[in-house]
Amino acid sequence: MSAVFLLISLFVCLLIGVPVAVSLGLASITTMLLFADQSLLSLAQRFFHTMQVYPLLAVPFFVLAGTFMTTGGVAKRMINFANALVGRFQGGLAMAAVLACAFFAAVSGSSPATVVAVGSVMVAGMLNSGYTKPFAAGVICNAGTLGILIPPSIVMVVYGAVTESSIGHLFMAGMVPGILLTLALMATISVIARKQGMPRQPSVNWRVTLRAGREAIWGLFLVVIIMGGIYLGIFTPTEAAAVSAVYAFFVALFIYKDIGLSDVSKVLTDSAKISTMLMFIIANAYLFAFVLTTEQIPQAASEWLNSLGLPPWGFLLVLNVLLLAAGNFMDPSSVVLILTPIVFPIAIEMGIDPIHLGVIMVLNMEIGLVSPPVGLNLFVTAGVADMTMEQVVRAALPWLAVLLSVLMVVTYVPAVSLALPAWLGWGNG
Amino acid sequence: MSSTAQRLHSVLDRLEEGFMALALAFMTIITFVQVVLRYVFGTGLVWSLEATTYAFAWLVLIGMSYGVRTRAHIAVDLFSNRLPFGIRRAMAVIVSGLCLLYCGFMVYGGTMFIDGLFNLGNNARDIPLPRWLLTGIMPVAFLLLAFRFLQAMRRMLAQEDKDQVSKKALTPIGQEQKVKTVGPQ
Repeated sequence: MSAVFLLISLFVCLLIGVPVAVSLGLASITTMLLFADQSLLSLAQRFFHTMQVYPLLAVPFFVLAGTFMTTGGVAKRMINFANALVGRFQGGLAMAAVLACAFFAAVSGSSPATVVAVGSVMVAGMLNSGYTKPFAAGVICNAGTLGILIPPSIVMVVYGAVTESSIGHLFMAGMVPGILLTLALMATISVIARKQGMPRQPSVNWRVTLRAGREAIWGLFLVVIIMGGIYLGIFTPTEAAAVSAVYAFFVALFIYKDIGLSDVSKVLTDSAKISTMLMFIIANAYLFAFVLTTEQIPQAASEWLNSLGLPPWGFLLVLNVLLLAAGNFMDPSSVVLILTPIVFPIAIEMGIDPIHLGVIMVLNMEIGLVSPPVGLNLFVTAGVADMTMEQVVRAALPWLAVLLSVLMVVTYVPAVSLALPAWLGWGNG
Repeated sequence: MSSTAQRLHSVLDRLEEGFMALALAFMTIITFVQVVLRYVFGTGLVWSLEATTYAFAWLVLIGMSYGVRTRAHIAVDLFSNRLPFGIRRAMAVIVSGLCLLYCGFMVYGGTMFIDGLFNLGNNARDIPLPRWLLTGIMPVAFLLLAFRFLQAMRRMLAQEDKDQVSKKALTPIGQEQKVKTVGPQ
């Protein structure tokens, strides 16, 4: 009964346009007041304590680092480097766009931010070189999803915080799937390009490539600091995020010199705004997850699933469908927060590795970002490429096949995610 | 609106922004300094972690209402955008009402929370300040949030009189999907 009330009140609130954060909070509070003897006091307490969860502190720091990197012309340097590397092939500019998205994903934990940073330069560039608009938009929209798969990733921070899994381990596990998706997208472009005779960029000599690489390396070094620092145990993921924010500040101000001291306060305010918006949703989603748990909804769901007698591969398939459906209506962090308490215990019982589960969830969220109606990347691409939503949806759709194939590989071949961390001696947990 | 009230508003707006930027800068620098102290000097600040988490809580709590003002909060408005004008207006009032109800719950719960801490009277773990003071921002922040929701509702109702055909301005609280903040999602 309480579960039904909780879900219906959430959906009604969302549908009539109550902000996502308030919808989550209001549905949880009313359910608690009506069906359980939790007081408003304990809910308020919980709300406050969510904002003091240590791993979640990484969120504002990663946002800040990403904003410094977006404001400074880092994306442009990465695009130049990507272009120097793969531009010479047929369909090279589109491949460079994908590669630049992958590079930028390594300094930004956000997919929509990646679309904006790379797309605002690359869509125009591709149009000038004779690519069609739907092709350019489709490439950027989908390659932008790499933002949350390649570390650092805000969604992984959230997943790690709720499940108390190692965030460093999760980051490492996202590497190979991220590279795999990058290559899959580039290979697809190459095939299409050969069929349709798409243009090449003039090939450049190694000296130019090297110079472009040297320009881009300052930005790319950010991910080295984060992963290296966490891996060597120099700092926690939260500290890594703060260090990367300070590093991004120095690079943008003193090495690239794209922004001045006067721009810093705007970068700070923007980052604070984005982090707050996210944390407001996260804190309320924690309340929601708390209600789910106290009402024993995960147990009920788990029993029901067990009664179906699903094998692990069947469960993973159901999980993918469920996540894809949810990801179409809500932003990735909320979906992870709401569904993890339900699916995590079941997955563990079935012997699925928690880190592997995290990567599967993130990949599903990526696909949610590019599928209608609420795919965030679609909206952002529509803005960047100056197209209507319907046009972008149609342009992005064919590429979903690539994302879905990679999802299947990552879902059913755990080694893709887990081999690298294991090889680095990052055992289970 | 009188000019004094307007000035008060702009001061409040400026304070919000300034506070958020400062809080984020403070958290980042303190955390960074902590790492440097640990590796370079082998020492550390005892209070840094607690100060960072409280700064974060304050940042989020103050930032919530800033988000209403700048329409940063995400709301799903695909459905409501297709309804006739009158119904949408009524729905916007209902939405505002629900948001206010939420604020009311949180103000009440937050006040009880602070009251409990006040009666306990103990200090925070590492910061020599009473816990009720550090947590006291919560009911205040939700009052401020309620104020911003009311403001947003009023703005929306006023806009309607001026421009009957405006379809875009009607989302009182949530932001239009197309101009959604490019946040880390």
